[in-house]
Amino acid sequence: MAVTLPPGPRTPWTPPRGDGSALRISRTPGRVGRTLLALALAVWFLLPLAPLGLWLFADRWSYPAALPEAWGLDGVRSALAQGAGPAFARSLGLGLAVSAVATPLGALAARALAYHRVPFPAAVNAVLFAPLALPAFAAAFGLNVLLLRLQVPPLAGVILILSVYALPYTTYTMRVAYGSHDLGFEEEARTLGATRWQVLARVHLPLLAPALARSAFLAFLIGWSDYLITLLVGGGAFITVPMLVASAASGTGNDSVVAVLSVTAVLPPLILLLGLGFFARKPPGGLS
Amino acid sequence: MTFTLRTKTILSGTAAIAAAALALAGCAAPPAAQAGFTGWDQVTAAAQGQTVRLWMYGGDKQGNSYVDNTLKPAAAKEGVTLERVPVADTKDAMNRVLTEVQAGTRDGAVDLVWVNGDNFGTGKQAGAWSCGWTSMLPNMTLTAASDPLLANDFGAPVEGCEAPWSKAQFTFAYNSATVTDPPKTLAGLLDWSRTHPGRFTYPAPPDFTGSVFTRQVLYSVSGGYANVPLGFERKAFDRLTPALFDTLTGLAPSLWREGKTYPKTSGELDALYAGGQVDFTMTYGPATLTKLVADGTYPAATKVLTLEEGTVGNASFLAIPSTSGHQAGAMVVANLALSPEQQAAKADPRVWGQFPVLDPAALSAAQRAMFEALPPSPVVPAYDVLSKNANPELAAAWVPELDDAWRRQILTGR
Repeated sequence: MAVTLPPGPRTPWTPPRGDGSALRISRTPGRVGRTLLALALAVWFLLPLAPLGLWLFADRWSYPAALPEAWGLDGVRSALAQGAGPAFARSLGLGLAVSAVATPLGALAARALAYHRVPFPAAVNAVLFAPLALPAFAAAFGLNVLLLRLQVPPLAGVILILSVYALPYTTYTMRVAYGSHDLGFEEEARTLGATRWQVLARVHLPLLAPALARSAFLAFLIGWSDYLITLLVGGGAFITVPMLVASAASGTGNDSVVAVLSVTAVLPPLILLLGLGFFARKPPGGLS
Repeated sequence: MTFTLRTKTILSGTAAIAAAALALAGCAAPPAAQAGFTGWDQVTAAAQGQTVRLWMYGGDKQGNSYVDNTLKPAAAKEGVTLERVPVADTKDAMNRVLTEVQAGTRDGAVDLVWVNGDNFGTGKQAGAWSCGWTSMLPNMTLTAASDPLLANDFGAPVEGCEAPWSKAQFTFAYNSATVTDPPKTLAGLLDWSRTHPGRFTYPAPPDFTGSVFTRQVLYSVSGGYANVPLGFERKAFDRLTPALFDTLTGLAPSLWREGKTYPKTSGELDALYAGGQVDFTMTYGPATLTKLVADGTYPAATKVLTLEEGTVGNASFLAIPSTSGHQAGAMVVANLALSPEQQAAKADPRVWGQFPVLDPAALSAAQRAMFEALPPSPVVPAYDVLSKNANPELAAAWVPELDDAWRRQILTGR
C-alpha cells in the first residue's frame, strides 16, 4: 500500500544561489566579521576548559607554575579507585531510564494539550510546569517520607521523582513540536488506507523524531546530573558520577580527580548533543 | 556543574528548618535505646552477613582510601560488608536520616554517620540516633572515661549516642617562605594581618572553619576561654561579643581584598593559600596538611602555627541512626574503628594522619609501640604538641548566634 511520505531528511536541500560575483564580494567583510566573532566565541567557551584539560593529567601543579610540573594518571587512578567506573554506568542507566519515562509521557501530555483534549488546559499546564518552580530540596524531603512509608523501592523512587522533574522540559519541547505539526499528513495517510499503527510508525513518529530526540536529551540530562534526589531518595545505594564530583569538589587538593570526573560527566551529554545535531536536523519544508 | 553549590546552599538553610520541624514533631521519638542485645557476643553473632553503609564527607581522598583499603577489609574479616557513601556535606546524610525518622523506617539506608557538632546535636534533638550502645563496645575501655572531648560533643552530652573515632585540633598553617616573623598568639596573628595588608583572611561564617575562627577570636579578645561560659547565655553574649565584632570590623580593611569580600568556604581560603594570594590558611582537619604539602598543592615551606594560648579541639564520632536496620553490624564497625590497630593505621600520616582517641595509659606496651613506630609528619606536629593548652569548644547553641551576628555586623554592616 502506497503511503505518501513527506520528503525525508536524505533529500538534499540546495540553497538559492546568489548569481552575481559583485554580490559575493560585497558580503566578504561581513563574512570575515562573522568568522572572527565565531572564533572569539569559541575561545570564550573553550578557554575556561583549558585548565580542566590540563588538570586531567597533572599529577603536580603548584602555584605559580604556568603549566603542570608533573604529568601522569594519578587523577584517573584516584577517580577509578573511588568507583568512577561503576558510577558512570549507573549515571548512564539513570539518565536513560528517566529519558525513557519522561519522553513518552511528555509527548502524550503535549499532544493532549496541543489538540485541546484536556479540560482546563491552563491548570494542567500549571501543574505540569510546577516542578520547575518547586525547590528540589523541599520536594525530595517531603516526597521521600511518603515514598518510605509506601515502601517504594529507592531506585524506583529516584526514577519517578526525576521523571517528574524532567516532564516540564519534555512537555514543552513536544508542545512546540505539536504546535507546528501538520495533522494533514496523517489524515492523508488514513484516507489512503493506512492503519492507525502504520500512521503512528511511518508518519507521526518520523515527523516528530527530531523533537522527540531533543526532549529525550533534556530528560537524560536531568537524570545524568542530579545529586540531591539520587542521594536523598536513593539512600546511598546508587552512587552516581554527580555524587563523586560533588564530594570530591568539596575538598581541597582534589583538582585532578575533579577534572577527570567532570570531563567524564560532560562527555556523554556532549556525544548525545553531537548525535542530536546530526539526527535532529530540520527536514526541509519547515517541519519539525 | 552547578549542582554542588546549589545543593549545598539549599541544604544548609533547609536542613535546620527541617530539623526544627522534626524536633517539634519528634517529641514522641525519644532517643531510641539499644534494645535486644545483652552481650557483645550477641552483637557479633547478629552482625554476621550484614551490610553496613557508612555515610561520610567524601572530600578527603586519604579518608576515602583509608576506609576503602584498610577499614573495609578488616570489617569483612569480622563478617560485615562495609560500604562507603560519599557526601559533599554531612547535612546530606542528616537529611536522609531525618526523613527516615519521620517516616518511621526500621530498615533505613544509613547505618553509620561520621559526625560531630551541630549535626550530632540536631540529630539527638530529633531522636535520630541509637543511644546507650557505646558502653557495649569492648574497645571503649581503651578510651579515657574522663576525657572531656569524648564526653561532650560541642556541649551536647554524648550519652552513648556515638562512638569516638578521631580527634582534631583547630590549626593555622602558614607559608614560612613569606612569613618570616610568625606570630605566637592569636592577638599576634591579628597584629601581623594589620601590618601585612591583604595577606590574611578567613572564611565567612557560617562556614564551619570560619565559624571556628570567630570563636577563637572571641576567646582571645575575652582574655582566654576561661572567661567565656561554654553554655550559651544571652547576657554573656551581649557582654563579650561587642569586643569580638569591634576587633573583626577593625581588622577588615587589612584583610584580603580589604575585607570587602570573604572566601565563602574553607575550600576557597585553601585555594587562595595554595595560589599564594594569602599567607595563612586554617583547618579543623590538620591531617590533610601533610598530603597537601607533599603533592604540591600547598607551598613546600608550609608550617603549622602553634599558639601559646592553644586552639580549640574537638573529636569526631561514628553515630548509628535509630532507623538503621543493621545496628549490630554498625556496632561491630564502630568497635573495629576504635581498635588500636585501626587507630594506629589511621594515625599514619601516609595513610590519613587523624589523631587517635585512645588513652595511652589504657594500652598495652605492644599497642603503644604501634603508635610510637608511626613516622612523624614533616608538617604537622604531634598531637600532644598541637593540643597543648587545648581550648574547649563552645556549646552548639553559641554557633548560630555568633554566625548571625557576624553576618549582620561584619558582612552587611559595613
